[in-house]
Amino acid sequence: MKAASSPVRFDALLLGAVLSLVSLGLVMVYSASAVMAQEKLGDSLYFLTRQMVAAGLGVVAMAVGMKVGWRKLARLAYPLLLVTLVLLVLVLIPGIGTTAGGARRWIRLPGFSLQPAEVAKFAWVVYLSYSLAKKREKVATFSVGFLPHLMLCGLLVGLCMLQPDFGSSVLLVFLLFALLFAAGARLSYLVGSVLLALPLAYAAVASSPYRMKRILAFLDPWAHRHDIGYQVAESLMSIGSGGLTGLGLGDGRQKLFFLPEAHTDFIFAIIGEELGLMGVLLLVILYGVVIWRGIRASMAAPETFGTYLGLGLTSIIAFQATVNMCVAMGLLPTKGLTLPFVSYGGTSLVVLMGAAGVLLSLSASSLPVSNRASRTGGDMREVAA
Amino acid sequence: MRDFKAARAPEPTRKWLRLRVRLLAFFFLALLGVALGRAVQLQVYERDKLRGLAQDQYVRQIEIPARRGDIFDRRGTPLAQSVEVDSIWVDPSLLPDVKQAARSLARALKLDAGELHARLGRARRFAWVKRQVTPREVEAVKALKLPGLGFTKEPRRFYPQRELAAHVVGMVGTDGHGLEGLELAFEDELSGQNSRLSGFRDAKGRKLLVSGAPDVFERQGASVTLTIDRHLQYVSEKALARAVEESKAVAGMALVMEPSTGEILAIANHPRFNPNTPAREARAAIRNRAALDAFEPGSTMKAFVVAAALEQKAIQPDQLFFCENGKWLVGRHTIHDTHEYAWLTPQRVLQVSSNICVAKIGQELGRERLVQAYRDFGFGERTGLALPGEGRGSIPFPKAEVSLATQSFGQGMSATAVQLTAAWAALANGGMLMRPYLVSKVVDPDGVVLLENRPTEVRQVVSARTARRVVEMLESVVAKEGTAPRAAMADYRVAGKTGTAQKVDPVARGYSDKRLASFVGMVPAENPRVVILVVVDEPKTDVYGGLVAAPAFKEIATAAMAHLAVPPSREVPLPSTALPVAVQPPPSKAVPVRTVVEVAVSENGEPGAVRVPDVVGHAGREAVTKLLSAALEPQLLGSGRVVSQTPAAGSLVEKGARVTLELATRQ
Repeated sequence: MKAASSPVRFDALLLGAVLSLVSLGLVMVYSASAVMAQEKLGDSLYFLTRQMVAAGLGVVAMAVGMKVGWRKLARLAYPLLLVTLVLLVLVLIPGIGTTAGGARRWIRLPGFSLQPAEVAKFAWVVYLSYSLAKKREKVATFSVGFLPHLMLCGLLVGLCMLQPDFGSSVLLVFLLFALLFAAGARLSYLVGSVLLALPLAYAAVASSPYRMKRILAFLDPWAHRHDIGYQVAESLMSIGSGGLTGLGLGDGRQKLFFLPEAHTDFIFAIIGEELGLMGVLLLVILYGVVIWRGIRASMAAPETFGTYLGLGLTSIIAFQATVNMCVAMGLLPTKGLTLPFVSYGGTSLVVLMGAAGVLLSLSASSLPVSNRASRTGGDMREVAA
Repeated sequence: MRDFKAARAPEPTRKWLRLRVRLLAFFFLALLGVALGRAVQLQVYERDKLRGLAQDQYVRQIEIPARRGDIFDRRGTPLAQSVEVDSIWVDPSLLPDVKQAARSLARALKLDAGELHARLGRARRFAWVKRQVTPREVEAVKALKLPGLGFTKEPRRFYPQRELAAHVVGMVGTDGHGLEGLELAFEDELSGQNSRLSGFRDAKGRKLLVSGAPDVFERQGASVTLTIDRHLQYVSEKALARAVEESKAVAGMALVMEPSTGEILAIANHPRFNPNTPAREARAAIRNRAALDAFEPGSTMKAFVVAAALEQKAIQPDQLFFCENGKWLVGRHTIHDTHEYAWLTPQRVLQVSSNICVAKIGQELGRERLVQAYRDFGFGERTGLALPGEGRGSIPFPKAEVSLATQSFGQGMSATAVQLTAAWAALANGGMLMRPYLVSKVVDPDGVVLLENRPTEVRQVVSARTARRVVEMLESVVAKEGTAPRAAMADYRVAGKTGTAQKVDPVARGYSDKRLASFVGMVPAENPRVVILVVVDEPKTDVYGGLVAAPAFKEIATAAMAHLAVPPSREVPLPSTALPVAVQPPPSKAVPVRTVVEVAVSENGEPGAVRVPDVVGHAGREAVTKLLSAALEPQLLGSGRVVSQTPAAGSLVEKGARVTLELATRQ
């Protein structure tokens, strides 16, 4: 494991689940976007092609993540954070950041656009893991363990909200709390700050008619199904229409312009419609495997940093996946979080696959070969790297 | 491996860390479980409800309107056709700003913006913006680039001959259903079967994924072929219009009938209307009065009184009647003649139209026999013309002496123009009353004949001898001494009768000074090919039928003779001849009249005539090309290869004539 030439062992189950999700994503992105892409861009393959390129880059990112290994990330914590902050500031500058759907979220580069918020999630986890591991039992203190992280989080969230990107902000806050909780921060601080944040959150929602509408639409999508609740209502109809076995791949009707963002935030609805409960079950199982193997790697990590890192990266995937599904099924208000590995979105896919590569390297380094083979029933494979 | 584990710094917090990480893992897995549970709820328990809601928005029952059948004249000239035009609709829920959209749509389509806005506001997902628009309007609306707009083809009724025969053909409403005339009478046959299809649509409202569009021919309505001859109809309408306008009359009607068959060749009403723009027309102008309304016919009835009296031998042809020198007191009423006459034969009675003497002939006949004679001629009974609301007319039993007298000269009774013409046609047809008809054929798109009218004999009203004798007498009417010298023709012998009826004042319940001037006649008198009736309602300049209606009769008759290629009469009595000699009827009675027409056409070899090519066995497309290059108009029934054609190959027909091809696919 130390030498680059030695065989790299990794969690095949985790890799299999991730690659399955990416493959399913490619199929569903094509199914959900083909008609719309043909209509709007004259090229039904537009989104599929771009997602395939991203998946290719993602495989490279994954390999890099595995090769570099989780240990070296500790040294990259500050540089990554710095790059992220720069990117988050840059994206806000008109001319550099591109606006779409009322939000300035993308930095357009030749050939592709970069979504800094996706990078921020990863960088935030790396930084938090490094910082919490370094501070050890001081984590429990308010001034060292709690306040600095909270302030840095506030900065990141503030930058995200300027885009605005509510979903990423919520995820960043959640990651902070999850890692602080794991690291042993005092529950009173956590609960207290949540209680303190509630009026702030309410003010944030109430001050923006657009967020208020989302809440209203969430509370009763059918009453607003012709305006603000349209997306959720259409999504519910899609998923419900799917039934047990779905209408068949490509046979969904809701994507025919009824359901906006069918290939990004609401791709789950198309999966539900075309593949039915079976498709949803498959998705749940795949995410379950990713969470299980991710947490397993995290707990088995030889260093606290690895544990935090594994937990944080798994949390990104788990939080986004569950929240996205719950939003699509009307259990949570609309956030703007994509379905990890599946939704269309290049930056997200590359970053998440890179994160998966790091998780794989963690799983590889946490368990020696001989033990692993006997303990996990041979689900580990050896591959010459 | 053990030492590796030891290197993991088994500090006490490590246990807590593992526990907390586990807790978070359970939290995530629990959330996944919640998501799965929700999916089960939605996809198993609420599936039907949600699927129903979804289908509501993309499944449309698409009603494909059947192409309405065409209406043709006797030679296949279309009088009513269906063409596909665009209609524009909108899904108001997709409009970002309904008010703004309504305003710009109203501007593009010349609609009332307020009304349109209200209409769009009421609808949830579908509202017509404007139906049956022009291609230019479609372009204008498309240029607005509004979301939620839809364009659909709807069949629209088009009347290529405009006013021609409009009263007969009738018209349809905006929804394509017949409102008047034959369009209404044959609504079921013409409309065909609308087909319903389930189709999916996307949020933009385009129909898509419609499987198996039905064959165009399967859903088409049946076509109706009339006995009307476009040319004679045109001539009749023109002549009638001139008669009405020159006499400053309020209205008029004209009818041309073939006496040997009862076929109505023309039926004209004035004023006319254009069925393409029905909204502008007054209801009254649309009414086909010639076919529907009964009126008091007046002196044109005298011919039947004389015919019946001769038939019953109530009078002798050379019997003299005293005409009381123009004034005759019947009961408390006085009957007048326009001129004072003393003694007249029946022929002279008809020639000068003496009311007094015909009343005396009526007395000779008696009440029962007069009423019976009228009924035998078809009065007081619907002719069974295929038009809804046809009038019956009435022959009240003349109890009073004066009623018997007035009924003898066509007052105190009523008849429709069709009844009157048909009765005259009976005199022209050797006493045989034929059932008048207007529709010769109704054929569905598969070539199945749904209805076919053939000449039908109703009854022999009077003997051929009597009919012949009366027709000869009636020839004197157009003589110089008669009431209608203006109806006389140079090359053809004409027999006819004028009528100048007093109109009943509906308010005062008595006769007014308003008149109904008419002339009915047949030509050529020795072997009548057409019977023509012209009625002018309330003429102002002159009131006499001989002056007002006779010239129109002559105009129509002249055109009919030319059109039907009738050879001139061998001997035409000069209008100045005092008493026409009874010329022997021509012997060629056995020859069916229709054959004569065809022979005449083919022998003439008119410049406009072409031979029908043989297309049997050809594929539909080839056959059409072949016919078009021969300047013929193909009409296809069915699909596949041509199995039969009408007219047959080699027949000589007019250029532009319709050739009906029956197609079938080989099994």
